[in-house]
Amino acid sequence: MADEFPFEISPMFEGERVRKDGMYVELAGPKSKGFELVKSVGMDEIEDGKFTLIGPDISEMEEGSRHPIAMIYRIAGELVEQDLEAIVERRNHDFQNYIQGVMHLNQRYDIWIRVSKDAMKKGLDSLEQIAKATMMLFKNELPFIEKIEATYITDMSEVEKELDGAIATYTARDERTRNLHDEDVDVFYGCTLCQSFAPTNVCVVTPDRISLCGAINWFDGRAAAKVDPEGPQFAIEKGEIIDAKGGEYSGVNDLAKSLSNGEYDRIKIHSFFEFPHTSCGCFEVVGFYIPEVDGIGWVDRDFMGTAPNGLPFSTMAGQTGGGKQVVGFLGIGINYFRSPKFIEVDGGWNRVVWMPKLLKDKVLADIPKDIVDKVATEEDASDLESLKAFLKEKDHPILERWVEEEEEDEAVEETATAAPTMQMPMMAAGTPMAMPAGSGGSGVKIILKNAKVSIDRVIIKKSE
Amino acid sequence: MTQVIAITGKGGTGKTAIAALLIRYLTKGNKVVLAIDADPDSNLPETLGCEAEKGIGDMKEFMLKERDNLPPDINKETIFESKIYEVLTEMPGYDLLVMGRPEGSGCYCYANNLLRGIMDRLVKNYDVVIIDTAAGLEHFSRKIIRDVDDLIVVTDGSRRGLRTGERIRELVGELEANVRNIYVIANKVTDDNKETISDTAKELDLELIGAIKVDEMIQERDLIGSPLFDLPDDSVAVQEVENIAKKLKL
Repeated sequence: MADEFPFEISPMFEGERVRKDGMYVELAGPKSKGFELVKSVGMDEIEDGKFTLIGPDISEMEEGSRHPIAMIYRIAGELVEQDLEAIVERRNHDFQNYIQGVMHLNQRYDIWIRVSKDAMKKGLDSLEQIAKATMMLFKNELPFIEKIEATYITDMSEVEKELDGAIATYTARDERTRNLHDEDVDVFYGCTLCQSFAPTNVCVVTPDRISLCGAINWFDGRAAAKVDPEGPQFAIEKGEIIDAKGGEYSGVNDLAKSLSNGEYDRIKIHSFFEFPHTSCGCFEVVGFYIPEVDGIGWVDRDFMGTAPNGLPFSTMAGQTGGGKQVVGFLGIGINYFRSPKFIEVDGGWNRVVWMPKLLKDKVLADIPKDIVDKVATEEDASDLESLKAFLKEKDHPILERWVEEEEEDEAVEETATAAPTMQMPMMAAGTPMAMPAGSGGSGVKIILKNAKVSIDRVIIKKSE
Repeated sequence: MTQVIAITGKGGTGKTAIAALLIRYLTKGNKVVLAIDADPDSNLPETLGCEAEKGIGDMKEFMLKERDNLPPDINKETIFESKIYEVLTEMPGYDLLVMGRPEGSGCYCYANNLLRGIMDRLVKNYDVVIIDTAAGLEHFSRKIIRDVDDLIVVTDGSRRGLRTGERIRELVGELEANVRNIYVIANKVTDDNKETISDTAKELDLELIGAIKVDEMIQERDLIGSPLFDLPDDSVAVQEVENIAKKLKL
């Protein structure tokens, strides 16, 4: 392949580093400027294989010198569309690294390229050779590209002139990417990096739900699974939708069962109360149900104080972590606050009553305008009494639930006198919370705070 | 094939000096070396006579801090790789990489997972990798560097120092890391204790591949804090390190 080039082209040269000692010239990089950009255009707007250079070529550059570079590719084809630009653009990194003696790092306006002295000696003295080889690879590996044209710029003022336009393109692209949701894809990604210490943890990463550690989004999962499908990140076929709002899918349930060794067989990825996502131990934030106000508080790793329930992050994290599905607590990554599906089924932001000030400030722009001032921080409320007062004062939407419950309670009292039945919520010993009252169910609500109940024997007798 | 050598030992035994002298020997022989400073307590850059402003730790922190600001579909591995290349100090004949600050309280599983792949690729670019690492072998337990050809424990002349060698050998057994050979170098040896050291090493079944005598030139340089990289060829330590390098087939 490619006898016309004075260099070898092979994936074997990926990861080849051009050291300073062996470098003929450096293009762009942390100490200069540059960018790479792929634009889709109409078939008749470009001439296939054409290369234009604006500025000096490699042969006109001094050994050991540094220059800016912009690499602009225009592509056309029946199947070429704007959405493909980013995918095509990312391959520039791969293809240029296939060229022996060329090192290409990073992407977009952070690209960093070096050409080695050895390559120069063997005849690589023009950017045209690099551009032609790259264009050839684009067309070979991505056959939907029917025509491709390249413009390279090595003149600083010309690079700067084009840079703003490139940045605008990247920004517009990111906007579109952020609009990708769970319903737009057929595949989610799982991650088992935490299973070494949370063996039953099932981390499900979707467009609307980042990993609990906050490090892996859906695109990261896709990139990793593509390179190594057997690696720590892998694809999960969504399967059938069981509960769209709560986020329950047959594919996720199947995986939960196998990853947790049968411990869990249902997971609703956007639910706090019903079959919640398991919590590893790496989660950045833990959510906790506050039965006294029927709301949910959130506390992050960096908050050193105690939440209104009297507990610090570490205690709640200890109770939640280890890969368990603990109703009443939920570990999440900070970016999940930005998800439009954020505990949607439980009321979303209308259910959030408390979070530390610094955490709230971090996600401030993403909290709905009508609720943002109604979520208390440690400056507004440090215990349950002050929290209740704050929520009342601000007329937090959670108050609507209180009214419903009070009505329910009254009804309960009446039935309670008639038939003294008791509905005891299930809970683990030492769990400092109670479950929300079952909807529509009758009975008395019992709240145990910090209770450790041990019963040797329970005797049930018919009353005489 | 790249030969990976890790040099470890208690603080003050002179492992950093030996690492620097091995790098000196290798670059003189036109081998391309990657020097890794993996001991937060050590000062390999100063000993070599170069400066490193930032380390891998800073770049891990950058990835953690910036990840929500990065474009959602960007390939984080290529960004991280570029950031690691940015903190490589490039010197004639060798590059230096500092591990730097320890991890914070967040989760580093993902960053470390990416780092493993990046390091695997980076290491292949060099003839020899010399790692100056603390006795706890922390970076090996995280498998940031997976395969080590020769692990060298530097000890002073004391029995306690040699015991460290024994303990490290046990630790390696527990690590799951792939370590081919373990050797011991006795440093700051005098005529009086030379024999006892080699007897103790035999008794503990440790392979002693060198004994470096107290070197006045090193002591002088240590005192004023000047690098050891340009020690003259007739320095006692330089000559013994040359012998050791030959035994390591460098």
